[in-house]
Amino acid sequence: MTTSTAPIAARTASAGTLKRALALPALLFLVIFLFPFIAGPHYVILMFSAMGYAIALLGLNLLFGYTGLLSLGHAMFLAIGAYTAGYMTSTRITNFELILLVAVAIGATVAVPIGLLCIRYVKIYFAMLTLAFSMLLYSFLFKFYHLTGGDEGIRIKAPTLTAWDLSGLDTLSVLTGPLYYYVFALLVLLTALMRCLTGSSLGLQLRAIRENQQKAEYLGVNVKRYRLVAFVIAAVYGVLGGVIIAIPVGLADPTIAYWVQSGNLIFMLLLGGYTNFLGPLLGAVVFIFFQDQLMSFTEYWRLTFGVILVMIVIFFPNGLMAALDRRRWWST
Amino acid sequence: MLASANILVGGVFHAAVLFLVAAGLQIVFGVQKIVNLACGSFYALGAYFGISALAWAAAFEVPAIAYIPILVGSGLLLAIVLGPSVERLLRLIYDRDEHFQILLTFALVLIFEDAIRLIWGAVPLQTINVYFAFGELRIARDLAIPNYNLIVIGAAALISAAFGWMLRRTRFGRIVRATAENKQMSEALCVDVSKVYMAVFTLGVALGTVGGALVVPAGAASIDMGVELIVDAFAVVIIGGLGSMPGALIGALIVGFVRSAAIWLYPEFELLAIYVIVITVLIVRPQGLLARTA
Amino acid sequence: MTLLQAQNVRKLYGGFCALDDVTLTINDGEHVSIIGPNGAGKTTLVNVLTGLVRPTAGNVTFKGYNVVNLGAVRLARLGMARSFQLVNIFPELSVGETIAVAAISHLRHGERFFSSTARNRPVWEIVERVGAIFGFSGKLDQPAKILSQGDKKLLDVASAFALSPEIILLDEPTSGVSTADKSTIMRVLVQAARQMGIKAIIQIEHDMDIVFGYSNRIIAVHNGRILADGSPASIRARADVMATIVGRQYDHA
Repeated sequence: MTTSTAPIAARTASAGTLKRALALPALLFLVIFLFPFIAGPHYVILMFSAMGYAIALLGLNLLFGYTGLLSLGHAMFLAIGAYTAGYMTSTRITNFELILLVAVAIGATVAVPIGLLCIRYVKIYFAMLTLAFSMLLYSFLFKFYHLTGGDEGIRIKAPTLTAWDLSGLDTLSVLTGPLYYYVFALLVLLTALMRCLTGSSLGLQLRAIRENQQKAEYLGVNVKRYRLVAFVIAAVYGVLGGVIIAIPVGLADPTIAYWVQSGNLIFMLLLGGYTNFLGPLLGAVVFIFFQDQLMSFTEYWRLTFGVILVMIVIFFPNGLMAALDRRRWWST
Repeated sequence: MLASANILVGGVFHAAVLFLVAAGLQIVFGVQKIVNLACGSFYALGAYFGISALAWAAAFEVPAIAYIPILVGSGLLLAIVLGPSVERLLRLIYDRDEHFQILLTFALVLIFEDAIRLIWGAVPLQTINVYFAFGELRIARDLAIPNYNLIVIGAAALISAAFGWMLRRTRFGRIVRATAENKQMSEALCVDVSKVYMAVFTLGVALGTVGGALVVPAGAASIDMGVELIVDAFAVVIIGGLGSMPGALIGALIVGFVRSAAIWLYPEFELLAIYVIVITVLIVRPQGLLARTA
Repeated sequence: MTLLQAQNVRKLYGGFCALDDVTLTINDGEHVSIIGPNGAGKTTLVNVLTGLVRPTAGNVTFKGYNVVNLGAVRLARLGMARSFQLVNIFPELSVGETIAVAAISHLRHGERFFSSTARNRPVWEIVERVGAIFGFSGKLDQPAKILSQGDKKLLDVASAFALSPEIILLDEPTSGVSTADKSTIMRVLVQAARQMGIKAIIQIEHDMDIVFGYSNRIIAVHNGRILADGSPASIRARADVMATIVGRQYDHA
C-alpha cells in the first residue's frame, strides 16, 4: 500500500474536504459576528450569553467528550467566574481583562485540589463528587449572607475595556456593541486554542485515557496528570464563561452553582454533540434561543427539556452536529 | 440532654427513611447496574401522593390508626403505576455507556419536578395533622417524642427486615441475587431476566415512594426535597459502599445523625456537613466503609 | 545483563496460593516462553512482573527498581511493555492513533500541548514503520473496534512494540489467530524485536510448536511454582515436565 510520509490525518484532509469541513464552523462564526446587525437587542444579548456558555462548554467538552469524565458540578466554575466579577466590580475594579485574569487565577487555584481528588474516580463517583462540590459551593454561597450576599447575591456592574473608551455609552449599547465583539474575539481565540490542544498529543492521550485507562497507562500515558490537566483547563474555560454569562444578568447569585445549571450545561453539550468539536458552540446557541422561546411559551420548560433530553439520549446521542456534519473531520 | 435526645431520635428517624431509599438504590444498582438519579423524584412523588391520599382519607373520616397503612399503601400504588413504565424506558439504554444512564435518569428528574409542579403546585404542602395524631412518649419532664417517629422507625425496620428476608429466603430473592451476580447465567437457566429487572426496579421505586410517604407528616413536601434526598442517599451509598446493604445501614445512620446534629447545633453547616463527610470518606476509603470487595 | 528479577515471590488470593516462592531472572538476549496448564499461575506471574498485581511476599525489580512502586506509567518510561491476554484496545481510536500513543510516549512528546500531532513527523514515521511490520499498512485509519479479534490482539502487541521497550511481556500473543497465521506473526514479532532493539521477550504460550520453535528459554509453571527453567533441549529432556504440561509424548522433528 502507499507508504507516503505525510501524516495520516493530514492525508485525509485534502484541499476539498478541508474547505467543506471549515464551511460549517465558518458559517456559524459569521452568523454570530453579524448578529448585532441582523437581530434586535434582546436577541443580541441572548447571543452574548450563548457565547459565554459556548466558552464554558468548550472546556466541559474537553472533560467529557475527550476525557470521558462526566461532571455534574461544572456550574461551580460558572459561579466562581460570576462572583469574581461581582466582588471586583463592587470594589470599583471594572476592567474586563483584569476581571477575567483574576477569575482564571481563582478558578485554576480552586480546580487543582478539587481536581486532584475527583479525577481519582470515574463515572458515577466522579459525577457525584463533582455534584457534591458544586452543591457545597451553592450552600456556602446561600448561607453565608454576610460574605456572599446570600440568596440576593452580588451585583455586577458593567465592565470597562482597556482598549476602548466606553464612557458615554449605556449598558445596552456596550453589550450589543464593543463588549459583544470583544467577547466574540475571545470566543474565536479560545476556540482556536481548544482546537490546538485537542489536536495535540494532549488530545490524543486524553482520548486514549477515555477509551481504556489501563492500556493507556501501560503505554506510558500519565493518566492522573492528564486528567487533572483536562479538569483545570475545563475549569478555566468555565470560569471565563461564567464571567461572560453573568455580565448581562448583572447579578451573581447562588443558583448559578445549583445542580440544575450543571445539568443545563450537560444538556447543551449533548444537544450540540459531544463527539464533535463544534458541538459546544452549536449546543449553546440552540439551547439559549430555544430556552428563551420556550420560557415565554410555558412555565413547564423543565418538562420539555427533560423529554427532549430523553429523546437525545435514546435516539440522537451524538447530537445535532452528527446530523449536520457527517464528515467528522472535526470530530473527537 | 434535651438536645441529645432530640438529635438521637431525629437522627434515627431520618436514618430509617434514608435507609429505605438507599436500599432501593442499592438493589437497582446491584441487579441492573444502573444508578438511579431519579430516586429523589420518586421520594418526592411519594410524599406528595401521600399527602393527597391522607387528604382523601380525612374526607372519609378514616381513623388515625389507618394513616400508616394508607401512607404505605399509597407509596406502593404509586410504585406499581410508575415503576414498570420507567423501567421500560430505561431498558432502552441498559447496554449503553453508563454516562447515558446517568443523563437519562437526570432527564427524569427534570420531568418529574415539573410534573409535581403541574399536579400539586410549587408551594410546599403539608399533611393534615398526622404527626401528633398518635400522641407522644413522655420520657422526662421536658422531653417528649412524638410516637409518629417511633412508628415510622418501626415501620422502616419492619420493611427492611421483610426485604432482607425476601432476598435471602424466598425463591424470588434467590433469583434476584443470581441475576445480580450473573445475568447471562440466569438467562441460560430460564430466568426471565426482563421480568426480574422490572420487579426489582419497581421494588426500588416502592422503597423510595414509601419512604417519602412516611416522612412527609414530619415535615412538608416541597419541590426541593427530591434533590436534597439524592445527595443524602448518595452520601449513604458512598459511605456504605455501592452494593452493600449493611453498608447502607451504617451510612444511613451516619448521615441521619449528622443531619440531625447539624439541624440542632449548627444549622448553617447542615448541608456542608454532609458534603464534607462524603468527601472525607471518598478520600480515605473510596470503596465505602463496608463495600463488597469484588 | 540482568533486566528483570523476581525474588521469592508469593501471591495469595485469600486462601488460594497463586504463586509460591518464585525466583527468576531475565537477562538480555533471552526469548522466554512461559508454559503451563490453565490456572498454573502464568498470567498472575506476568501481572506481578509488570507491577499490575502486588505480591504478597517477595519483590520484583526491573533494572534495579521495584516494579510495584513504579506503576505502569513509569515502567513504560523505563522500558517495559506488555500485551494482554484479553483483547485490550482503544475502541474508538484508529489503528494509527493507537500506535501513535505509544510512539508519543517513546519520543517523550506527551507534553507537546501546542503542536499538532497530525504534523508530528517522527511520531507518524514510527506508526507507519510499526504498522508495516505488523501488517496494518492499509488499515491505519480504521477504528480499532472494527478489527477482527486476531487483529485486535495483534494491535495490542504492535502498540506495545511501538514503545521500543527493552523488555516486552506478551500474554498469549497468537491466541485467537489461525494456525497458519501464528507462525507468520511469530516471525513478525521476532523481526520487530530485532529491528527495534528489544533486549528480551517473555511470552506466555500454549502452542508448543511456537514454544520450541522460537524461544531460547522455557519456564514451566505448575500450581504456582516453577517446575523447570532452562533451554528447550533441557526441557524436552524432562519427562515430568512434558507429561504434566504437554500431556503426551511430544514429538517434533
